[in-house]
Amino acid sequence: MALSGIQIYKLLPQTNCKECGFPTCLAFAMKLAAKQVELSACPYVSEESKAQLEESSAPPIRLITLKSDGYEVKAGNEVVMYRHEKTFYNKPGLFVKIKTSAPEGDVKTLAQRIQEYRVNYVGIELEVDGIAVEDDANNPERMKATINAVRSMSKKPLMLFSRSASSLEAGLPQLSGETPLIGCADSENWEKYAELAKQSKTALAVIADSVDGLAELTEKAKSKGVEDLVLVPEGKNLGHELILQTQIRRLALKANYRAVGYPTLVFCQNQAQMAQSIAKYAGFIVIDQFAEELIYPLLVLRQNIYTDPQKPIQVQPGLYEINNPQPTDPVLVTTNFSITYFSVANEVEGSGLPAHLLVADAEGMSVLTAWAAGKFDAERIAKAVKAANLDEKMTRKRLVLPGAVAVLSGEVEAELPGWEIRVGPREAVDIPKFYKQVLLVN
Amino acid sequence: MRTITLGALPAEGGTRKRVVTVGGETAMPFMRFEGEIPNPPVVAIEIKDRKPEDWSPLLIETWEDVIDDPAKWAAAAEAAGADLIVLALSLPNRNGEPTTPDEAVASVKAVLSATGLPLIVFGPGQAEADNTLLVAVSEATKGERLALGICEDKNYRTIVATAMANGHLVTARTPMDVNLAKQLNILISDMGLPLDRILMDPTTGALGYGIEYGFSVMERLRLAALQGDKMTQLPMIVTPGFEAWKAKESKVGEGVPKAWGDWLNRAINWETLTAMTLVESGADIVVLRHPESLKRVKSAIDELMAAKAFVS
Amino acid sequence: MANYKVTFNHKAEPVVVKSGTLITEAARLAGIEINQPCGGQGRCGRCVVQVTEGKVRQRSTLRLSSEDIGLGYCLACQSVIEGDLSVLVPEQEKVERRLVTDRTAVEVEPLPGYSPEYHQSLRRYFLDIAQPNYEDQTDDLSRLQKHLRVALGFEQVEIPVTLIKKISSAFREGNWQVTVYLDISSGEDGISLIRLVDIVPHHCENDNPIWGAAIDIGTTTVTLWLVDLWTGFVHAQVSEYNAQIRRGEDVISRIIYADKEGGLQELQQLIVGTINQLVELACKRVKDYTVTPEQILKVTVAANTTMMHLFLGVPPSYIRLAPFIPTFNQAPLVRAQEIGLHVNPNAIVDCLPGVASYVGADITAGVLSAGVDDTDKLTLFLDVGTNGEMVLGSKEWLVTCACSAGPAFEGAGVRDGMRATTGAIEEVWIHSETYEPTYRVIGGGKPHGICGSGLISLLAELFMTGVIDKAGNLNTSLSTPRIREGEHGMEYVVAWGKETVHGRDIAITRVDIDNLLRAKAAIYAGFIVLAQSVGVPLEETEQVLIGGSFGKYLNIEKSIQIGLLPDLPWEKFNFLGNTAVKGAYFALLSQENRERIREIASKMTYIELSADNTFYEAFMSAMFLPHTDINRFPSVMEAIQSVKVPIQS
Ligand code: SF4
Ligand code: FES
Repeated sequence: MALSGIQIYKLLPQTNCKECGFPTCLAFAMKLAAKQVELSACPYVSEESKAQLEESSAPPIRLITLKSDGYEVKAGNEVVMYRHEKTFYNKPGLFVKIKTSAPEGDVKTLAQRIQEYRVNYVGIELEVDGIAVEDDANNPERMKATINAVRSMSKKPLMLFSRSASSLEAGLPQLSGETPLIGCADSENWEKYAELAKQSKTALAVIADSVDGLAELTEKAKSKGVEDLVLVPEGKNLGHELILQTQIRRLALKANYRAVGYPTLVFCQNQAQMAQSIAKYAGFIVIDQFAEELIYPLLVLRQNIYTDPQKPIQVQPGLYEINNPQPTDPVLVTTNFSITYFSVANEVEGSGLPAHLLVADAEGMSVLTAWAAGKFDAERIAKAVKAANLDEKMTRKRLVLPGAVAVLSGEVEAELPGWEIRVGPREAVDIPKFYKQVLLVN
Repeated sequence: MRTITLGALPAEGGTRKRVVTVGGETAMPFMRFEGEIPNPPVVAIEIKDRKPEDWSPLLIETWEDVIDDPAKWAAAAEAAGADLIVLALSLPNRNGEPTTPDEAVASVKAVLSATGLPLIVFGPGQAEADNTLLVAVSEATKGERLALGICEDKNYRTIVATAMANGHLVTARTPMDVNLAKQLNILISDMGLPLDRILMDPTTGALGYGIEYGFSVMERLRLAALQGDKMTQLPMIVTPGFEAWKAKESKVGEGVPKAWGDWLNRAINWETLTAMTLVESGADIVVLRHPESLKRVKSAIDELMAAKAFVS
Repeated sequence: MANYKVTFNHKAEPVVVKSGTLITEAARLAGIEINQPCGGQGRCGRCVVQVTEGKVRQRSTLRLSSEDIGLGYCLACQSVIEGDLSVLVPEQEKVERRLVTDRTAVEVEPLPGYSPEYHQSLRRYFLDIAQPNYEDQTDDLSRLQKHLRVALGFEQVEIPVTLIKKISSAFREGNWQVTVYLDISSGEDGISLIRLVDIVPHHCENDNPIWGAAIDIGTTTVTLWLVDLWTGFVHAQVSEYNAQIRRGEDVISRIIYADKEGGLQELQQLIVGTINQLVELACKRVKDYTVTPEQILKVTVAANTTMMHLFLGVPPSYIRLAPFIPTFNQAPLVRAQEIGLHVNPNAIVDCLPGVASYVGADITAGVLSAGVDDTDKLTLFLDVGTNGEMVLGSKEWLVTCACSAGPAFEGAGVRDGMRATTGAIEEVWIHSETYEPTYRVIGGGKPHGICGSGLISLLAELFMTGVIDKAGNLNTSLSTPRIREGEHGMEYVVAWGKETVHGRDIAITRVDIDNLLRAKAAIYAGFIVLAQSVGVPLEETEQVLIGGSFGKYLNIEKSIQIGLLPDLPWEKFNFLGNTAVKGAYFALLSQENRERIREIASKMTYIELSADNTFYEAFMSAMFLPHTDINRFPSVMEAIQSVKVPIQS
């Protein structure tokens, strides 16, 4: 059981000497309870207390890192079942499958497309993480050739899957200095695969259709000295897969069951499976088709699910059009805190009056809070106006500020020459009335 | 979770050929090894009482033959495999004038006679119009067990009262917040509407537009419900179709980055992925717009429900 | 049916009533009007009378302590006459003190065993200075210093130029007899630095007062106590709105204003101006002496961190920016003239130490005066101001946080709000069927507005009678002219223009209700986060101490009904009035207490609420009446059921 701040405090010296960098022992205790500091920061903890405090430390799900020249993909280290409890940390690595049966030209083209795929989502560059080479030809030569073809186009981390160890043996030397993943080890071939993994210092994927089966394999692999393991739970259908994933996560976190304390990998065939794997616990996802129109939404979904929910709920900053506004209609500005946005948007929408709603990036704070923290000032508002290209879009340049920041009107005027700056009401409920009585009048 | 039935058969005072029952779960979504999942999530298709002006051209094209006639549209949606129909009334009618209560009633009646599926009716989303139109619809369809929406914290009394008087259900919408969702349910049930006649719509953002909030809010509502919190034990309805098709990714085909890929497929992926993510987090009714997404989501739900009780 | 005789207030003539009559009716017959705020519904407990002879059948004894019931107290509207009676109708004020739900602020008393020479830091000495002559050509200053050294043993005394100017004339005017005032406050490191505060001709009377002032600078309200340090007695208590209000209602607006050209200076002048006015006013209020501001020699100041910065003219800019670091938590002692304070120019101004940007000296002083740092009981201490600051803990540990509640509970930022002074409605009852209100006004005259306690009471009544729903929406379907569409949306009229001082209607608007909801939600959310942060369930709290500018009165039951205070048994609550100024007063009177405030500041652990969204969650969940999770408020749940809010449609 995790100790509460007060429980930890009772084990500390309670002298408030401040040497740990915190003003009081209790402050330090609370940080410890939240796992945000190391116990060693306090030089005065008694040995006895140390023993009591150190028991629940090692991460329940092992961190696995796949590496290649210049790239790295991480999975594991997760601590919660539901993202709202804290956050999900390591986004599932997205790998696209390339088959050894494919002609070399195709392999190269595909590898190049994967390597070059890059898409911008809210200012973040999203990419595919790596390539999974599947030895469907079951041929060591093809494996070697395919890897070389891939490597001629892409340096991203690789996974090698084959039903015969000899293919892997043929492939691995091409990847010296890297940490790929190899697999999949099952109850029959595990020994050879484990040996290979150990020799070439790769991560090893083990596959089974039950939690027990997986646990058995990891124990065996571990006994051979392989530590970096990845679980491939083979569900019979989507529902079964979800249950397996959930059980693995739960046993690792709640029961501290180390045998399944590894990230998982899913081979996905359809969108439902991909969505599920991203939402529910996969550490790596291998997809067998590369299509921009699918990769893009998947990368976005992954980005969304793995954002930190401790941050305030935000809406996308930008321009929102309500009730089909024309370039002559007013621009109402507000912040990107979701509740603020919704209350304003709902009022405008409900009034039936057309308006452009300009949502400024105020780091997800409400109007007043953002203003207080210096995140919603004339400069930011002007920036939002520019970003939305309103100078060109609007034929009548009218900007309505929330009443709560009426004080900003002068500065905004200075920042936005040519704009008519109006101060709206303090409360969203008064917007329709303000619109009718003020904006419609002149 | 409470079990809620939408629609009433003739024997129950309605005219539906089929009713839809949702809810009743005693575990997190699809965790059949530790509880009951008696009713699968269902998929509704959203139709409008007239050709919508602001919908993506892709959707207009898809429903081209029926889009001017809500009755035909409903029949087409049923044929496409929908479990129920959501009819969203428009603010201005075909002629650009405000939709009258009579027109609204006529549309609803036409849809009811064109399909045997249960029906959810949403007002145009403006308090006054919602109230007048929905009261008329509610009275004209007494006993049909429609779900009327949308109740919001600033405007719920009228809709709840008319639903209560005419044997309908309501949908309660709140902006992605566990507490707000719960609060509205309390306000509505304080008026005397039994909890098994309230669907909650915790709202969601589309993929890329805040889906994570919808996702977590739904997970949290379900967790709270399983812990015995009565006011969160209501089945959840969400509108990924509406959200996903609002996104630029679905709406716009030209002048977008090449990395976005093919428009139609992208749009359908957008809707499908949004819907599936929400199904995973506990949605009981997902409202979609495109028949292809409907097909994909329904088949995924079938697969999810197919998992045999599994004991570790 | 039997007839009985009932005598009221020992009047000679009894009234004769039928068996089964209520005491309220009998009183009316006798020409005595018993106040029935809730309309005789047995809800308010305000119609308390004492039956000194005879027996009645009591339908309800709500809010009476068992002790009082034993003494014959009963609710007149709930007591059925079944025999001859003699009844006493107490004055309203006495009624309140008897009710278990009501709290009036605890009175101040000087420290037990107070001795000016032992406790506080100002010393008065009567000096006989050796006159100079042709042989002894020592200058006056050295002469004074020598005397202080030789006769009093003070090696090093700081003497500012302004006092050097006074030495020669004081010596001669007093014919080489002078009275000096020295401040011997010990510094942070315990080493005393002696400061000369004043020098005046002649020896004054030995027991003349030595004047000091304790001040609490609130964002909205400023309070000053004028104290005789010689006796420890408080001679005047005055307060006024902070004149900075016109430059913004909350600390953030002030900080931003201070960043503007000339803003800081203006705010500094405004606050000092307010204090100077209060000083004048307090001096005038003193009954037994003539006091001038120049006689005030020592001032202790409690204030939130921003106010303290502004008071000293220090730019507060970084307080509002993450990670929220103030320029100082502990300021050095300053002289009054350095900041323009109109007391004695050389008076020592001691700004008490704070903890962090949002937990200032008002809280450390409050903790001291409430004794939170000195109790074994797990205590929740709350200071309701524009910032709701709270402390949880005991002797062993203290955690604290601050949340922005807004000035609603101080009567500001609400359309008809006002301070808790004469003319403020401080309590409201609403009839659950007619929706007609009854209210009580401070001072008893016509109402001018509603103060914080009145707003709490009003909100609770609106809610309990179903005039508003749990989200604060006014129920427009009720048939009463008091619910109407006003300029700012829907509103409820508490007093019609013909009843008020200014002839305007006094009403509470939807916007006001939202403000109050936000204020109470912020405070309750603070409790939740504080308790969560240390992993102690809120229900384990053994006492709740409340400070703040509520005036003298707070109704615990109503505060719980709106979800401002946690649902704990009423007897666990205590209302202490303005704890910050009281803490400043304690620090003024006792060096030991002053040191304790420093210790409190150093041991208190501050929880920053904006660090993650747990506060936001708790806040949203508290933005409901009484709370989204009704299980946290079992007593309110019960009360709602017993009032039976009619089903509205
Ligand atoms: S270093 Fe240790 S003893 Fe000192 S304050 Fe930190 S926790 Fe307390
Ligand atoms: S209790 Fe008697 S009048 Fe209120």
